Amino acid sequence: MSERRFVLLMLAPAVLFLGFLVAYPVALLVYNSFFEVELINPSGRIWVGLANYVDALTSKRILETAQRTLRYSVFALCFEFIFGFGAALLFSAIADRSHWHRTIFALPLMISPIVAGLLWRFLLVGDIGILNYGLTALGIIPDPRGINWLSDTDIVIYSVAFADIWLTTSFVALVSYAGLTNIPRDLLEAARIDGANAIKRFWHVTLPLMRPVIAVVVIVRGIDALKTFDLIWIQTQGGPRQASEVFSMNIYQRMVRYGDLGEASASATLFLVFMIVLAGLAYWKIWRTDNG
Amino acid sequence: MADRAPHDFGKTVINAAALLLVLSYALPYVYLVSTSLKPAADVQQIPPSFFPDGVSLENFATVIGTAGLPNAFLNSAIVAILTTLLSLLIAVPAAYVSALYRRRITVLFLLFALVTRMVPAVSLGVPLFQIMKTLGLLDTTIGLVLAHTSTAVPLALLLMSAFFEGVPKELEEAARMDGCTRFGAFLHIILPLMPSGLAISALFSFIASWNEFLFALLLTSQNSKTAPIVIAEFNSVYGLAWGPMTAAAVLYSLPVILVTLLLQKQIVGGLTFGAVKG
Repeated sequence: MSERRFVLLMLAPAVLFLGFLVAYPVALLVYNSFFEVELINPSGRIWVGLANYVDALTSKRILETAQRTLRYSVFALCFEFIFGFGAALLFSAIADRSHWHRTIFALPLMISPIVAGLLWRFLLVGDIGILNYGLTALGIIPDPRGINWLSDTDIVIYSVAFADIWLTTSFVALVSYAGLTNIPRDLLEAARIDGANAIKRFWHVTLPLMRPVIAVVVIVRGIDALKTFDLIWIQTQGGPRQASEVFSMNIYQRMVRYGDLGEASASATLFLVFMIVLAGLAYWKIWRTDNG
Repeated sequence: MADRAPHDFGKTVINAAALLLVLSYALPYVYLVSTSLKPAADVQQIPPSFFPDGVSLENFATVIGTAGLPNAFLNSAIVAILTTLLSLLIAVPAAYVSALYRRRITVLFLLFALVTRMVPAVSLGVPLFQIMKTLGLLDTTIGLVLAHTSTAVPLALLLMSAFFEGVPKELEEAARMDGCTRFGAFLHIILPLMPSGLAISALFSFIASWNEFLFALLLTSQNSKTAPIVIAEFNSVYGLAWGPMTAAAVLYSLPVILVTLLLQKQIVGGLTFGAVKG
Protein backbone atom coordinates (compact mmCIF):
# COMPACT_ATOMS: atom_id res chain seq x y z
CA MET A 1 0.00 0.00 0.00
CA SER A 2 1.36 3.42 -0.87
CA GLU A 3 2.29 5.74 1.94
CA ARG A 4 -0.27 8.26 0.83
CA ARG A 5 -3.12 5.78 0.82
CA PHE A 6 -2.10 4.45 4.21
CA VAL A 7 -2.16 7.94 5.74
CA LEU A 8 -5.56 8.69 4.24
CA LEU A 9 -7.03 5.37 5.35
CA MET A 10 -5.80 5.81 8.93
CA LEU A 11 -7.17 9.36 9.06
CA ALA A 12 -10.48 8.51 7.39
CA PRO A 13 -12.50 7.31 10.42
CA ALA A 14 -11.57 10.37 12.47
CA VAL A 15 -12.18 12.75 9.58
CA LEU A 16 -15.56 11.22 8.79
CA PHE A 17 -16.58 11.14 12.43
CA LEU A 18 -15.55 14.70 13.26
CA GLY A 19 -16.99 15.83 9.95
CA PHE A 20 -20.36 14.33 10.77
CA LEU A 21 -20.49 15.19 14.48
CA VAL A 22 -18.59 18.49 14.66
CA ALA A 23 -18.26 20.17 11.26
CA TYR A 24 -21.78 19.32 10.07
CA PRO A 25 -23.49 20.42 13.33
CA VAL A 26 -21.52 23.67 13.28
CA ALA A 27 -22.59 24.24 9.66
CA LEU A 28 -26.19 23.46 10.61
CA LEU A 29 -25.92 25.89 13.54
CA VAL A 30 -24.78 28.71 11.28
CA TYR A 31 -27.45 27.80 8.69
CA ASN A 32 -30.22 27.83 11.32
CA SER A 33 -29.08 31.20 12.58
CA PHE A 34 -30.35 32.85 9.38
CA PHE A 35 -33.89 31.53 9.80
CA GLU A 36 -36.85 32.03 11.99
CA VAL A 37 -37.27 28.43 13.05
CA GLU A 38 -38.95 26.67 15.95
CA LEU A 39 -37.48 23.70 17.78
CA ILE A 40 -40.69 21.67 17.56
CA ASN A 41 -41.01 22.21 13.80
CA PRO A 42 -37.57 22.69 12.23
CA SER A 43 -38.85 22.20 8.68
CA GLY A 44 -41.20 25.19 8.76
CA ARG A 45 -38.51 27.83 8.42
CA ILE A 46 -38.54 31.42 7.18
CA TRP A 47 -35.39 33.12 5.90
CA VAL A 48 -34.73 36.25 7.94
CA GLY A 49 -31.15 37.06 6.97
CA LEU A 50 -29.24 38.70 9.80
CA ALA A 51 -32.33 39.53 11.87
CA ASN A 52 -31.46 36.99 14.57
CA TYR A 53 -28.02 38.52 14.93
CA VAL A 54 -29.47 42.03 15.14
CA ASP A 55 -31.91 40.80 17.79
CA ALA A 56 -29.12 39.10 19.74
CA LEU A 57 -26.80 42.08 19.64
CA THR A 58 -29.52 44.53 20.66
CA SER A 59 -31.19 42.38 23.32
CA LYS A 60 -30.71 43.82 26.78
CA ARG A 61 -30.89 40.42 28.43
CA ILE A 62 -28.24 38.91 26.18
CA LEU A 63 -25.85 41.82 26.61
CA GLU A 64 -26.33 41.67 30.37
CA THR A 65 -25.67 37.94 30.26
CA ALA A 66 -22.49 38.48 28.25
CA GLN A 67 -21.23 41.07 30.73
CA ARG A 68 -22.13 38.82 33.64
CA THR A 69 -20.26 35.91 32.05
CA LEU A 70 -17.17 38.10 31.75
CA ARG A 71 -17.43 39.29 35.36
CA TYR A 72 -17.87 35.71 36.55
CA SER A 73 -14.87 34.51 34.54
CA VAL A 74 -12.56 37.31 35.63
CA PHE A 75 -13.55 36.87 39.27
CA ALA A 76 -13.10 33.09 39.22
CA LEU A 77 -9.87 33.28 37.27
CA CYS A 78 -8.28 35.86 39.59
CA PHE A 79 -8.91 33.81 42.71
CA GLU A 80 -8.00 30.49 41.11
CA PHE A 81 -4.79 32.01 39.98
CA ILE A 82 -3.90 33.66 43.30
CA PHE A 83 -4.75 30.57 45.36
CA GLY A 84 -3.29 28.10 42.88
CA PHE A 85 -0.07 29.95 42.24
CA GLY A 86 0.31 30.70 45.96
CA ALA A 87 -0.15 27.02 46.76
CA ALA A 88 2.41 26.06 44.12
CA LEU A 89 4.96 28.48 45.64
CA LEU A 90 4.33 27.04 49.10
CA PHE A 91 4.70 23.49 47.82
CA SER A 92 7.92 24.30 46.04
CA ALA A 93 9.23 26.01 49.19
CA ILE A 94 8.88 22.71 51.07
CA ALA A 95 9.78 20.80 47.90
CA ASP A 96 10.52 17.20 48.88
CA ARG A 97 8.07 17.17 51.77
CA SER A 98 5.11 18.39 49.71
CA HIS A 99 4.20 14.96 48.32
CA TRP A 100 1.14 14.46 50.53
CA HIS A 101 0.07 18.07 50.16
CA ARG A 102 0.10 17.68 46.41
CA THR A 103 -1.74 14.36 46.56
CA ILE A 104 -4.59 15.92 48.50
CA PHE A 105 -4.61 18.88 46.14
CA ALA A 106 -4.85 16.52 43.17
CA LEU A 107 -7.99 14.78 44.41
CA PRO A 108 -10.56 17.28 43.04
CA LEU A 109 -8.83 17.34 39.61
CA MET A 110 -11.28 15.01 37.92
CA ILE A 111 -14.38 15.66 40.04
CA SER A 112 -17.44 16.63 38.01
CA PRO A 113 -18.54 20.29 38.14
CA ILE A 114 -21.95 18.93 39.13
CA VAL A 115 -20.52 17.59 42.39
CA ALA A 116 -18.57 20.78 43.09
CA GLY A 117 -21.68 22.87 42.44
CA LEU A 118 -23.89 20.69 44.60
CA LEU A 119 -21.34 20.70 47.40
CA TRP A 120 -20.94 24.48 47.43
CA ARG A 121 -24.65 25.04 47.19
CA PHE A 122 -24.95 22.94 50.33
CA LEU A 123 -22.24 25.02 52.04
CA LEU A 124 -23.92 28.31 51.11
CA VAL A 125 -27.63 27.58 51.07
CA GLY A 126 -30.18 29.39 53.26
CA ASP A 127 -30.49 28.28 56.89
CA ILE A 128 -28.31 25.19 56.76
CA GLY A 129 -25.28 26.52 54.89
CA ILE A 130 -22.39 25.82 57.23
CA LEU A 131 -20.16 28.55 55.80
CA ASN A 132 -22.17 31.33 57.43
CA TYR A 133 -22.04 29.52 60.78
CA GLY A 134 -18.28 29.30 60.42
CA LEU A 135 -18.02 33.00 59.55
CA THR A 136 -20.24 33.86 62.53
CA ALA A 137 -18.07 31.78 64.85
CA LEU A 138 -15.01 33.64 63.57
CA GLY A 139 -16.77 36.96 64.19
CA ILE A 140 -16.68 37.99 60.51
CA ILE A 141 -20.43 38.33 60.15
CA PRO A 142 -22.84 39.09 63.02
CA ASP A 143 -25.26 36.20 62.53
CA PRO A 144 -25.68 33.19 60.23
CA ARG A 145 -28.36 34.92 58.18
CA GLY A 146 -26.05 37.85 57.52
CA ILE A 147 -25.27 36.99 53.91
CA ASN A 148 -27.69 35.38 51.47
CA TRP A 149 -25.07 34.04 49.11
CA LEU A 150 -27.37 32.40 46.59
CA SER A 151 -30.51 34.52 46.87
CA ASP A 152 -29.06 38.03 46.86
CA THR A 153 -29.17 39.16 43.23
CA ASP A 154 -26.23 41.53 43.72
CA ILE A 155 -23.73 38.89 44.78
CA VAL A 156 -25.04 35.57 43.48
CA ILE A 157 -22.90 35.60 40.33
CA TYR A 158 -19.80 35.77 42.55
CA SER A 159 -21.11 33.24 45.08
CA VAL A 160 -21.59 30.61 42.39
CA ALA A 161 -17.94 31.10 41.40
CA PHE A 162 -16.75 29.72 44.76
CA ALA A 163 -17.37 26.17 43.53
CA ASP A 164 -15.36 26.86 40.39
CA ILE A 165 -12.53 28.38 42.40
CA TRP A 166 -12.47 25.42 44.76
CA LEU A 167 -12.60 22.87 41.96
CA THR A 168 -9.90 24.29 39.71
CA THR A 169 -7.41 25.81 42.14
CA SER A 170 -5.87 22.34 42.21
CA PHE A 171 -5.34 22.38 38.46
CA VAL A 172 -3.66 25.79 38.58
CA ALA A 173 -1.56 24.74 41.58
CA LEU A 174 -0.29 21.48 40.10
CA VAL A 175 0.44 22.85 36.64
CA SER A 176 2.24 25.85 38.20
CA TYR A 177 4.14 23.51 40.51
CA ALA A 178 5.32 21.50 37.50
CA GLY A 179 6.48 24.77 35.94
CA LEU A 180 8.29 25.86 39.10
CA THR A 181 10.21 22.59 39.37
CA ASN A 182 11.52 23.18 35.84
CA ILE A 183 13.25 26.43 36.82
CA PRO A 184 16.99 25.69 36.98
CA ARG A 185 18.24 25.73 40.58
CA ASP A 186 21.55 27.37 39.62
CA LEU A 187 19.77 30.44 38.25
CA LEU A 188 18.10 31.09 41.61
CA GLU A 189 21.36 30.25 43.40
CA ALA A 190 23.33 32.68 41.23
CA ALA A 191 20.81 35.44 41.94
CA ARG A 192 21.15 34.69 45.62
CA ILE A 193 24.93 34.94 45.52
CA ASP A 194 24.52 38.27 43.71
CA GLY A 195 22.62 39.44 46.79
CA ALA A 196 19.02 39.30 45.53
CA ASN A 197 16.55 38.67 48.37
CA ALA A 198 13.62 36.27 48.10
CA ILE A 199 11.22 38.89 46.72
CA LYS A 200 13.71 40.08 44.10
CA ARG A 201 14.50 36.50 43.09
CA PHE A 202 10.79 35.84 42.68
CA TRP A 203 10.20 39.02 40.68
CA HIS A 204 13.25 38.92 38.41
CA VAL A 205 13.93 35.18 38.00
CA THR A 206 10.89 33.04 38.83
CA LEU A 207 8.14 35.19 37.36
CA PRO A 208 9.72 35.84 33.94
CA LEU A 209 10.57 32.14 33.55
CA MET A 210 7.01 31.17 34.53
CA ARG A 211 5.45 33.46 31.95
CA PRO A 212 4.60 30.76 29.39
CA VAL A 213 3.08 28.49 32.07
CA ILE A 214 1.06 31.36 33.50
CA ALA A 215 -0.16 32.34 30.05
CA VAL A 216 -1.31 28.80 29.27
CA VAL A 217 -3.06 28.40 32.62
CA VAL A 218 -4.88 31.71 32.22
CA ILE A 219 -6.00 30.90 28.67
CA VAL A 220 -7.17 27.36 29.41
CA ARG A 221 -8.96 28.32 32.59
CA GLY A 222 -10.34 31.52 31.09
CA ILE A 223 -11.89 29.66 28.17
CA ASP A 224 -13.37 27.05 30.51
CA ALA A 225 -14.84 29.73 32.76
CA LEU A 226 -16.47 31.53 29.83
CA LYS A 227 -18.07 28.22 28.76
CA THR A 228 -19.39 27.34 32.25
CA PHE A 229 -22.84 25.79 32.35
CA ASP A 230 -23.33 22.82 34.68
CA LEU A 231 -21.55 24.22 37.73
CA ILE A 232 -23.91 27.22 37.93
CA TRP A 233 -26.94 25.33 36.67
CA ILE A 234 -26.87 22.94 39.60
CA GLN A 235 -26.51 25.79 42.10
CA THR A 236 -29.11 28.28 40.94
CA GLN A 237 -30.39 27.35 37.45
CA GLY A 238 -29.43 30.92 36.59
CA GLY A 239 -31.67 32.49 39.24
CA PRO A 240 -32.83 34.36 41.18
CA ARG A 241 -34.38 36.42 38.38
CA GLN A 242 -31.57 35.55 35.92
CA ALA A 243 -29.02 37.14 38.23
CA SER A 244 -26.64 34.22 37.73
CA GLU A 245 -27.49 33.40 34.11
CA VAL A 246 -24.35 33.03 32.01
CA PHE A 247 -24.06 32.93 28.23
CA SER A 248 -24.27 29.13 27.72
CA MET A 249 -27.31 29.05 29.94
CA ASN A 250 -29.02 31.84 28.07
CA ILE A 251 -28.60 29.93 24.80
CA TYR A 252 -29.89 26.74 26.42
CA GLN A 253 -32.92 28.52 27.87
CA ARG A 254 -33.84 30.17 24.60
CA MET A 255 -33.64 26.88 22.80
CA VAL A 256 -35.29 24.56 25.33
CA ARG A 257 -37.69 26.81 27.22
CA TYR A 258 -38.71 29.17 24.43
CA GLY A 259 -38.06 26.76 21.54
CA ASP A 260 -36.49 29.54 19.49
CA LEU A 261 -33.95 27.56 17.49
CA GLY A 262 -33.09 30.46 15.16
CA GLU A 263 -32.17 32.96 17.85
CA ALA A 264 -30.44 30.37 20.00
CA SER A 265 -28.36 29.40 16.95
CA ALA A 266 -27.39 33.01 16.25
CA SER A 267 -26.17 33.52 19.82
CA ALA A 268 -24.41 30.16 19.80
CA THR A 269 -22.66 31.11 16.55
CA LEU A 270 -21.51 34.44 17.99
CA PHE A 271 -20.29 32.59 21.08
CA LEU A 272 -18.40 30.05 18.97
CA VAL A 273 -16.73 32.70 16.82
CA PHE A 274 -15.79 34.73 19.89
CA MET A 275 -14.20 31.71 21.62
CA ILE A 276 -12.21 30.64 18.56
CA VAL A 277 -10.95 34.15 17.91
CA LEU A 278 -10.03 34.58 21.57
CA ALA A 279 -8.21 31.26 21.73
CA GLY A 280 -6.52 31.92 18.40
CA LEU A 281 -5.26 35.33 19.53
CA ALA A 282 -4.04 33.92 22.80
CA TYR A 283 -2.18 31.02 21.21
CA TRP A 284 -0.75 33.21 18.52
CA LYS A 285 0.59 35.52 21.20
CA ILE A 286 2.18 32.70 23.18
CA TRP A 287 3.57 31.14 20.05
CA ARG A 288 5.10 34.48 19.06
CA THR A 289 6.66 35.03 22.48
CA ASP A 290 8.02 31.48 22.49
CA ASN A 291 9.60 31.96 19.11
CA GLY A 292 10.68 35.54 19.46
CA MET B 1 25.06 29.90 61.64
CA ALA B 2 23.75 33.20 62.89
CA ASP B 3 20.66 33.10 60.71
CA ARG B 4 19.79 29.55 61.66
CA ALA B 5 17.02 30.45 64.11
CA PRO B 6 15.04 32.81 61.84
CA HIS B 7 15.55 30.34 59.02
CA ASP B 8 13.97 27.59 61.09
CA PHE B 9 11.21 29.96 62.08
CA GLY B 10 10.56 30.74 58.42
CA LYS B 11 10.42 27.03 57.61
CA THR B 12 7.94 26.44 60.41
CA VAL B 13 5.68 29.21 59.13
CA ILE B 14 5.82 27.84 55.58
CA ASN B 15 5.06 24.30 56.77
CA ALA B 16 2.18 25.52 58.90
CA ALA B 17 0.79 27.60 56.05
CA ALA B 18 1.00 24.67 53.63
CA LEU B 19 -0.71 22.38 56.11
CA LEU B 20 -3.47 24.92 56.80
CA LEU B 21 -4.00 25.45 53.09
CA VAL B 22 -4.30 21.75 52.34
CA LEU B 23 -6.63 21.10 55.28
CA SER B 24 -8.98 23.94 54.40
CA TYR B 25 -8.92 22.80 50.79
CA ALA B 26 -9.99 19.29 51.75
CA LEU B 27 -12.61 20.49 54.24
CA PRO B 28 -15.58 20.98 51.86
CA TYR B 29 -15.35 17.48 50.47
CA VAL B 30 -14.88 15.95 53.94
CA TYR B 31 -18.06 17.77 54.97
CA LEU B 32 -19.90 16.31 51.98
CA VAL B 33 -18.88 12.78 52.97
CA SER B 34 -19.63 13.39 56.64
CA THR B 35 -23.09 14.76 55.78
CA SER B 36 -23.90 11.78 53.59
CA LEU B 37 -23.19 9.53 56.61
CA LYS B 38 -25.57 11.39 58.93
CA PRO B 39 -29.01 10.01 59.76
CA ALA B 40 -31.42 11.62 57.28
CA ALA B 41 -33.17 13.63 60.02
CA ASP B 42 -29.90 15.29 61.11
CA VAL B 43 -28.84 16.51 57.68
CA GLN B 44 -30.96 19.64 57.70
CA GLN B 45 -30.66 20.48 61.39
CA ILE B 46 -30.07 24.09 62.42
CA PRO B 47 -27.35 24.92 63.30
CA PRO B 48 -25.52 22.33 61.16
CA SER B 49 -22.84 20.17 62.74
CA PHE B 50 -19.69 19.23 60.92
CA PHE B 51 -19.46 15.62 62.07
CA PRO B 52 -22.31 13.11 62.25
CA ASP B 53 -23.57 12.19 65.75
CA GLY B 54 -23.87 8.63 64.67
CA VAL B 55 -22.92 7.03 61.38
CA SER B 56 -25.89 5.90 59.33
CA LEU B 57 -26.22 4.56 55.82
CA GLU B 58 -29.82 5.72 55.62
CA ASN B 59 -29.09 8.28 52.88
CA PHE B 60 -27.28 5.72 50.77
CA ALA B 61 -30.17 3.28 51.21
CA THR B 62 -32.59 5.99 50.01
CA VAL B 63 -30.43 6.68 46.98
CA ILE B 64 -30.12 3.05 46.00
CA GLY B 65 -33.84 2.58 46.55
CA THR B 66 -34.76 5.62 44.47
CA ALA B 67 -36.35 4.59 41.22
CA GLY B 68 -34.06 5.54 38.39
CA LEU B 69 -30.84 6.26 40.21
CA PRO B 70 -29.11 2.85 40.08
CA ASN B 71 -30.25 2.71 36.48
CA ALA B 72 -28.75 6.15 35.81
CA PHE B 73 -25.41 5.02 37.23
CA LEU B 74 -25.55 2.00 34.97
CA ASN B 75 -26.34 4.23 31.98
CA SER B 76 -23.46 6.53 32.88
CA ALA B 77 -21.09 3.57 33.02
CA ILE B 78 -22.31 2.11 29.72
CA VAL B 79 -22.13 5.46 27.92
CA ALA B 80 -18.67 6.17 29.31
CA ILE B 81 -17.32 2.71 28.36
CA LEU B 82 -18.73 2.87 24.82
CA THR B 83 -17.48 6.45 24.42
CA THR B 84 -14.00 5.37 25.50
CA LEU B 85 -13.87 2.39 23.12
CA LEU B 86 -15.26 4.33 20.18
CA SER B 87 -13.04 7.36 20.65
CA LEU B 88 -9.88 5.25 20.96
CA LEU B 89 -10.84 3.22 17.91
CA ILE B 90 -11.24 6.42 15.90
CA ALA B 91 -8.49 8.55 17.41
CA VAL B 92 -5.56 6.12 17.73
CA PRO B 93 -4.97 5.41 14.00
CA ALA B 94 -5.29 9.10 13.18
CA ALA B 95 -2.91 10.05 15.99
CA TYR B 96 -0.43 7.43 14.72
CA VAL B 97 -0.16 8.84 11.22
CA SER B 98 -0.25 12.39 12.55
CA ALA B 99 2.88 11.68 14.58
CA LEU B 100 4.81 9.29 12.32
CA TYR B 101 3.78 10.47 8.86
CA ARG B 102 3.79 14.21 9.35
CA ARG B 103 2.61 16.03 6.25
CA ARG B 104 0.32 18.90 5.39
CA ILE B 105 -2.93 16.98 5.73
CA THR B 106 -2.09 15.58 9.16
CA VAL B 107 -0.95 18.97 10.47
CA LEU B 108 -4.18 20.55 9.22
CA PHE B 109 -6.11 17.74 10.82
CA LEU B 110 -4.47 18.22 14.24
CA LEU B 111 -5.17 21.93 13.97
CA PHE B 112 -8.82 21.13 13.25
CA ALA B 113 -8.91 18.90 16.35
CA LEU B 114 -7.42 21.71 18.39
CA VAL B 115 -10.04 24.20 17.15
CA THR B 116 -12.74 21.64 17.93
CA ARG B 117 -11.70 21.80 21.57
CA MET B 118 -12.61 25.51 21.64
CA VAL B 119 -16.21 24.94 20.51
CA PRO B 120 -18.53 25.65 23.45
CA ALA B 121 -20.62 22.57 24.27
CA VAL B 122 -23.84 24.52 23.92
CA SER B 123 -22.95 25.57 20.35
CA LEU B 124 -22.57 21.91 19.44
CA GLY B 125 -25.49 20.76 21.57
CA VAL B 126 -28.09 22.95 19.87
CA PRO B 127 -27.61 21.46 16.36
CA LEU B 128 -26.87 17.97 17.73
CA PHE B 129 -30.34 17.94 19.26
CA GLN B 130 -31.84 18.51 15.83
CA ILE B 131 -29.59 15.90 14.17
CA MET B 132 -30.32 13.25 16.80
CA LYS B 133 -34.02 13.98 16.50
CA THR B 134 -33.90 13.49 12.72
CA LEU B 135 -32.01 10.21 13.17
CA GLY B 136 -34.39 9.04 15.88
CA LEU B 137 -31.50 8.88 18.37
CA LEU B 138 -32.88 11.27 20.98
CA ASP B 139 -32.94 9.69 24.43
CA THR B 140 -30.90 6.68 23.32
CA THR B 141 -27.57 5.41 24.59
CA ILE B 142 -26.13 5.50 21.06
CA GLY B 143 -27.10 9.14 20.56
CA LEU B 144 -25.42 10.21 23.78
CA VAL B 145 -22.34 8.08 23.04
CA LEU B 146 -21.96 9.77 19.66
CA ALA B 147 -22.27 13.22 21.25
CA HIS B 148 -19.72 12.41 23.95
CA THR B 149 -17.36 10.87 21.42
CA SER B 150 -17.37 14.10 19.42
CA THR B 151 -15.60 15.79 22.34
CA ALA B 152 -13.55 12.76 23.43
CA VAL B 153 -11.98 12.14 19.99
CA PRO B 154 -10.05 15.44 19.78
CA LEU B 155 -8.84 14.93 23.36
CA ALA B 156 -7.66 11.35 22.77
CA LEU B 157 -6.19 12.36 19.42
CA LEU B 158 -3.99 15.10 20.88
CA LEU B 159 -2.92 12.94 23.83
CA MET B 160 -2.11 9.87 21.71
CA SER B 161 -0.22 11.83 19.08
CA ALA B 162 2.01 13.20 21.85
CA PHE B 163 2.72 9.62 22.97
CA PHE B 164 3.41 8.49 19.39
CA GLU B 165 5.82 11.43 18.95
CA GLY B 166 8.16 9.50 21.26
CA VAL B 167 8.34 6.51 18.88
CA PRO B 168 11.35 6.55 16.56
CA LYS B 169 10.36 6.27 12.90
CA GLU B 170 13.20 3.71 12.47
CA LEU B 171 11.21 1.24 14.56
CA GLU B 172 8.43 1.25 12.01
CA GLU B 173 10.94 0.99 9.14
CA ALA B 174 12.69 -1.96 10.80
CA ALA B 175 9.37 -3.76 11.27
CA ARG B 176 8.60 -3.29 7.59
CA MET B 177 12.04 -4.63 6.61
CA ASP B 178 11.05 -7.76 8.51
CA GLY B 179 8.03 -8.12 6.30
CA CYS B 180 5.31 -6.25 8.22
CA THR B 181 2.83 -4.17 6.27
CA ARG B 182 2.45 -0.54 7.38
CA PHE B 183 -0.73 -1.48 9.18
CA GLY B 184 0.92 -4.58 10.67
CA ALA B 185 3.79 -2.48 12.05
CA PHE B 186 1.26 -0.16 13.65
CA LEU B 187 -0.93 -2.89 15.11
CA HIS B 188 1.62 -5.55 16.13
CA ILE B 189 4.84 -3.66 16.81
CA ILE B 190 4.18 -0.09 17.88
CA LEU B 191 0.75 -0.18 19.52
CA PRO B 192 1.83 -2.83 22.08
CA LEU B 193 4.57 -0.41 23.19
CA MET B 194 1.98 2.19 24.19
CA PRO B 195 0.09 0.74 27.18
CA SER B 196 0.43 3.86 29.32
CA GLY B 197 -0.54 6.21 26.48
CA LEU B 198 -3.60 4.11 25.70
CA ALA B 199 -4.51 3.84 29.38
CA ILE B 200 -4.28 7.57 30.03
CA SER B 201 -6.24 8.45 26.86
CA ALA B 202 -8.87 5.90 27.84
CA LEU B 203 -9.06 7.31 31.35
CA PHE B 204 -9.50 10.89 30.15
CA SER B 205 -12.18 9.85 27.64
CA PHE B 206 -13.99 7.83 30.27
CA ILE B 207 -14.01 10.62 32.85
CA ALA B 208 -14.95 13.28 30.30
CA SER B 209 -18.03 11.22 29.49
CA TRP B 210 -18.77 10.24 33.10
CA ASN B 211 -18.76 13.91 34.15
CA GLU B 212 -20.54 15.37 31.11
CA PHE B 213 -23.78 17.22 31.81
CA LEU B 214 -25.01 19.54 29.06
CA PHE B 215 -25.28 16.99 26.20
CA ALA B 216 -26.97 14.55 28.55
CA LEU B 217 -29.43 17.27 29.60
CA LEU B 218 -30.23 18.14 26.00
CA LEU B 219 -30.29 14.69 24.45
CA THR B 220 -31.89 12.42 27.05
CA SER B 221 -35.30 12.55 28.70
CA GLN B 222 -36.49 9.18 30.02
CA ASN B 223 -34.65 6.02 29.18
CA SER B 224 -31.01 6.94 28.92
CA LYS B 225 -30.60 9.60 31.59
CA THR B 226 -27.17 9.56 33.18
CA ALA B 227 -26.24 9.93 36.85
CA PRO B 228 -25.55 13.71 36.91
CA ILE B 229 -28.96 14.41 35.33
CA VAL B 230 -30.80 12.36 37.93
CA ILE B 231 -28.74 13.90 40.74
CA ALA B 232 -29.63 17.36 39.44
CA GLU B 233 -33.29 16.34 39.36
CA PHE B 234 -33.23 15.50 43.07
CA ASN B 235 -33.78 19.24 43.50
CA SER B 236 -37.17 19.47 41.96
CA VAL B 237 -38.56 16.02 42.62
CA TYR B 238 -37.93 15.79 46.35
CA GLY B 239 -37.80 19.43 47.34
CA LEU B 240 -34.39 19.82 48.87
CA ALA B 241 -33.51 16.31 49.88
CA TRP B 242 -29.97 17.13 50.94
CA GLY B 243 -29.33 13.79 52.63
CA PRO B 244 -29.83 11.58 49.57
CA MET B 245 -28.34 14.31 47.36
CA THR B 246 -25.04 14.28 49.26
CA ALA B 247 -25.02 10.47 49.27
CA ALA B 248 -25.56 10.42 45.49
CA ALA B 249 -22.82 13.01 45.00
CA VAL B 250 -20.43 10.86 47.05
CA LEU B 251 -21.29 7.72 45.07
CA TYR B 252 -20.84 9.64 41.84
CA SER B 253 -17.49 11.24 42.72
CA LEU B 254 -15.74 8.68 44.94
CA PRO B 255 -14.68 6.34 42.11
CA VAL B 256 -13.17 9.30 40.27
CA ILE B 257 -11.27 10.39 43.38
CA LEU B 258 -9.91 6.88 43.97
CA VAL B 259 -8.68 6.68 40.37
CA THR B 260 -7.03 10.09 40.75
CA LEU B 261 -5.33 8.89 43.91
CA LEU B 262 -3.95 5.82 42.16
CA LEU B 263 -2.87 7.54 38.94
CA GLN B 264 -2.04 11.00 40.25
CA LYS B 265 1.24 11.34 38.39
CA GLN B 266 -0.14 10.31 35.01
CA ILE B 267 -3.24 12.47 35.41
CA VAL B 268 -1.29 15.58 36.33
CA GLY B 269 1.00 14.83 33.39
CA GLY B 270 -1.97 14.47 31.04
CA LEU B 271 -3.62 17.64 32.29
CA THR B 272 -0.41 19.62 32.05
CA PHE B 273 -0.07 18.40 28.51
CA GLY B 274 -3.73 19.17 27.83
CA ALA B 275 -3.11 22.63 29.20
CA VAL B 276 -0.24 23.16 26.82
CA LYS B 277 -1.99 21.81 23.78
CA GLY B 278 -5.47 23.02 24.30
